[in-house]
Amino acid sequence: MPKPKSSKPGDHTAYSELAVRNNAAVVEYCRTSMAALSGCTAGILGLTGFYGFGFYVLAVIGLWVLLLMRAGSKWNRYFLNRKSLLTNGFVGGLCTYVLFWTFFYTMVHVY
Amino acid sequence: MAELLLDANIRGWVFLPIVVITFLVGVLRHYISLLIGGSQKKADIQQVQDSQALLRARLLRENGKYLTRSAFQMRRYYFNDEEVGYFLTQKRTAPASNPMTDPSMMTEMLKGNLTNVLPMIVIGGWINWMFSGFVTTKVPFPLTLRFKPMLQRGIELLSLDPAWVSSASWYFLNVFGLRSIYALVLGENNAADQSRQFQDQMSGAAVQMPVDPKAAFKAEWEALEIYQHQSALEGLAAEMIE
Repeated sequence: MPKPKSSKPGDHTAYSELAVRNNAAVVEYCRTSMAALSGCTAGILGLTGFYGFGFYVLAVIGLWVLLLMRAGSKWNRYFLNRKSLLTNGFVGGLCTYVLFWTFFYTMVHVY
Repeated sequence: MAELLLDANIRGWVFLPIVVITFLVGVLRHYISLLIGGSQKKADIQQVQDSQALLRARLLRENGKYLTRSAFQMRRYYFNDEEVGYFLTQKRTAPASNPMTDPSMMTEMLKGNLTNVLPMIVIGGWINWMFSGFVTTKVPFPLTLRFKPMLQRGIELLSLDPAWVSSASWYFLNVFGLRSIYALVLGENNAADQSRQFQDQMSGAAVQMPVDPKAAFKAEWEALEIYQHQSALEGLAAEMIE
C-alpha cells in the first residue's frame, strides 16, 4: 500500500514530497472507507447517542493501529508524523460516518 | 417523546430518492465540470518562469542541507546576490488585474459558479418543492433544541423532538456527508491520473501563480537570506568508518 520514500537510513531521512502526498491520499482513501463502513455497522447494530460516537472513535483508533502495524517499525519511512496520522481528517470522516449511521439506522430501526 | 410511526412509503419515495439524487447530481457535476473546464489553462511564460524560480528557491531551502557549503552558496548567489541575483534583478510589476475587468477571469468565475453554485440552488430548490413537509428520518443521537431550525426546515412543530429530520435538511446532510464519498468514487476512476496530477502540482505549479510575483520574490529572498546552512552530511565519513 504505502510506497517507500527515497531510502536513506540513519538520522536523516530524505522524503520525496510526491510519495508523501501519495501516501496521504491513500490514507485518506482508507479513512473514508473506514468511516463509511463503520457508519453502516453502527447503523445496523442500532447504536444510539454516545455509543455511536464512541464507536467512531474506536474505529479511528483501530484504523490507526492497523496502519501502524502495516507500516511496521519503520513507520517514519512512510509518514512524517504518527500523531497527525491519527488526527487528520477526523471531522471530515465524522460527517461521512454520521450520514451512513443515520441512513442505516433509519432504514433498519425507524421504519 | 413518543416514537413516531413513519409510513414505509416515505422511505421508498422520499428518503431513498433524496440520497440517490444527491449522489448522482454530484457525479454529474463532476463530469460537467470536466466537460466545461477540461481544456488546459494556458499559462503565461513569464508566470511559469517566476513560479519555477520560486519553487527552486524553496527546494533549496528545504533540501539545502544535503549540499556542500560551496554548492549551497553558489545557488544562493544565483538567487540572492545584490548585483546579479535573480530575485533582485528581475523587476516584476504587480499585475494590475482586477478580476472584474479581465474577461478570461470572468469566464472562469462564471464556470465555477455554473458548476458549483447553480446546481446547489436549483436542486436544493427542487428538492424543497418536491419533497417538502415530510419527516424523513431520525438521527440516532439526542440533540438540543438549537438544532431544530437546522434539521427541521419546513416543519414548524414546536413539540417535535429535534432528533427528527425533515426532507430538506436530510438533503443538506447528504450534501455534506457525501463529499468525501465523491473523492472515493470519482477518484477510483482516475486513480491513474492522480500521481500525474500531483506531478503537475509539484513541477509545474505555474497555474496556481501567486498573485503578486514581486512580493513573492521579496518573501523568498528574505527566507533564503536568513537560512543558515548546516550540512546534514557533516560527519558522514566518520560515521561510515565506524
